[in-house]
Amino acid sequence: MVKIGIEDLYSDIILDYAKNNKYKKEIPASQKAEGKNLSCGDEITIFLKVDNGKIVEASYLGHGCIISQASAAMMCEIIEGKTVEEAEKILNEVIKMSQGKEYDNDLIDGLEVFSDISKFPMRIKCFTLSWHTLEEAINNQD
Amino acid sequence: MLSSNKYEEEFPALKRKINGHRLVYLDNAATTLRPKRVMEAVSEYSLNHHANVHRSTHTLASEATQMYESSRQKLADFINAKKEEIIFTKGTTESINLLAYSLAISNMIQPGEEILITTMEHHSNFVPWQQIGKLFNIKIKYFPVKKGIFEPDDYFNYITSKTKVISITGISNVTGQVIPINLIVEKARKIRNNVIIIVDGAQYIPHFSVDVKSLDIDFLAFSGHKMLGPTGIGVLYGKKEYLEQMSPFLFGGEMIDKVSMEDTTFTILPFKFEAGTPNVDGSVGLAKAVELLQQIGMNNINQHDKMLTKYALEKMKNLDFLEIYGPQDEFQSSIVSFNMKGIHPHDVAHLLNDIAGVAIRSGHHCAQPMMNELGVKATCRVSFYVYNQKDDIDILIYGLKKVWEWLK
Repeated sequence: MVKIGIEDLYSDIILDYAKNNKYKKEIPASQKAEGKNLSCGDEITIFLKVDNGKIVEASYLGHGCIISQASAAMMCEIIEGKTVEEAEKILNEVIKMSQGKEYDNDLIDGLEVFSDISKFPMRIKCFTLSWHTLEEAINNQD
Repeated sequence: MLSSNKYEEEFPALKRKINGHRLVYLDNAATTLRPKRVMEAVSEYSLNHHANVHRSTHTLASEATQMYESSRQKLADFINAKKEEIIFTKGTTESINLLAYSLAISNMIQPGEEILITTMEHHSNFVPWQQIGKLFNIKIKYFPVKKGIFEPDDYFNYITSKTKVISITGISNVTGQVIPINLIVEKARKIRNNVIIIVDGAQYIPHFSVDVKSLDIDFLAFSGHKMLGPTGIGVLYGKKEYLEQMSPFLFGGEMIDKVSMEDTTFTILPFKFEAGTPNVDGSVGLAKAVELLQQIGMNNINQHDKMLTKYALEKMKNLDFLEIYGPQDEFQSSIVSFNMKGIHPHDVAHLLNDIAGVAIRSGHHCAQPMMNELGVKATCRVSFYVYNQKDDIDILIYGLKKVWEWLK
């Protein structure tokens, strides 16, 4: 088994996304959902502007560790411009990846920097918080 | 104290390598490492003497009963209580739940009387009282521990002739502040002599020698696993005159006197509070842990913790990228909570582990009201015990500098 170092989890790409505030904002009058990690108190709100089945804008607000913040920022970047159906497919693959299962690499363009997250069992929930919250936001249609 | 190489023999986990680094275990306020002799005592009981206690007359049952009861005696002697005043529980949380429910159902709190707790409590000494208050319509008063520092003089203003119960921790599990329990008892008894004083000793008992009689507290709750014992065993000490007035909280086997279709009478102390087959394994392990603590000496442990806390505070204060919480004086014992500026505690804890083999706690420490007082969501926490040495703190400081370099 290849040994996964902490350098891979805290890589420059991930640190950059965690510090990037481009997607850290509220979108007024949008579909939204709040997510919480009860064990650590981290909270996140996901905002989606959906028009005709397409996610035209995505953003998040909240506080959490580098892993959770980078994951949220990358998620917003990837799902913007996708249809809700496409976003749901990506979501499924991402969850599979977080569980160490086989997944479709083509669908999760860019997220492979987190491909070894399943090797850090205590941090999986940091990574998946925004994705689980996305699922709720998608379901929270008016 | 034992010499450090003796600790390595006694605590095998100290020889573990974490990512190639020697384990530096600084999460003792969460739970302490296991000594060999404690686990050997548990194993010896389980494999060679185990049977159900207080029931059958055969040899194993007799041995098991004697071992369970001699563990109780050991714990009683440890805090200068009577044997029948020691109730074995799962731990501090169960001890306080038992107490809260039993006080409420025994009508020991009259209408108009209040229970006083504080915002620095661990959830185990907060939520049970809050919920009892709701269920039984009892007023709960919360003393705000502003900015996370407990000020005794402000606290005394919250004690009135209506205060029936005071429940307070002996040491804050977040800041390590040592609470002057003797002073609180003295002042509270002047305001109302028969106020019931409860101490959450989960953090206090592992570090200080306690004499419940001279301290004149009414109840004391603590856990075995924070004082070198196994998990799943803890103690509720209660003054006999109170325990006798109180109704049992759990009903079932072991705790009865006479059962008929119409009603049941309950057995004597402490058994009326120990329904069901008890955790004999745990009690044997806890008694062994107490023996080890006594061998090291509680005063030695206390001095050692003080020395380490002082050393850690001195070193950590020099790191300008840290924000440290708590009194930071001689009234801080064995715990230091802090944050690295702009960095989430989980990231600090994970990196410290992987870069330097240092195990610390990150999160809200089961004390969300205290996090609100400090104005933070979470903190990093280091906590020390007998086997820690100054070089553990040096490695911590090295690790903190590395983490800051990486993430700043």
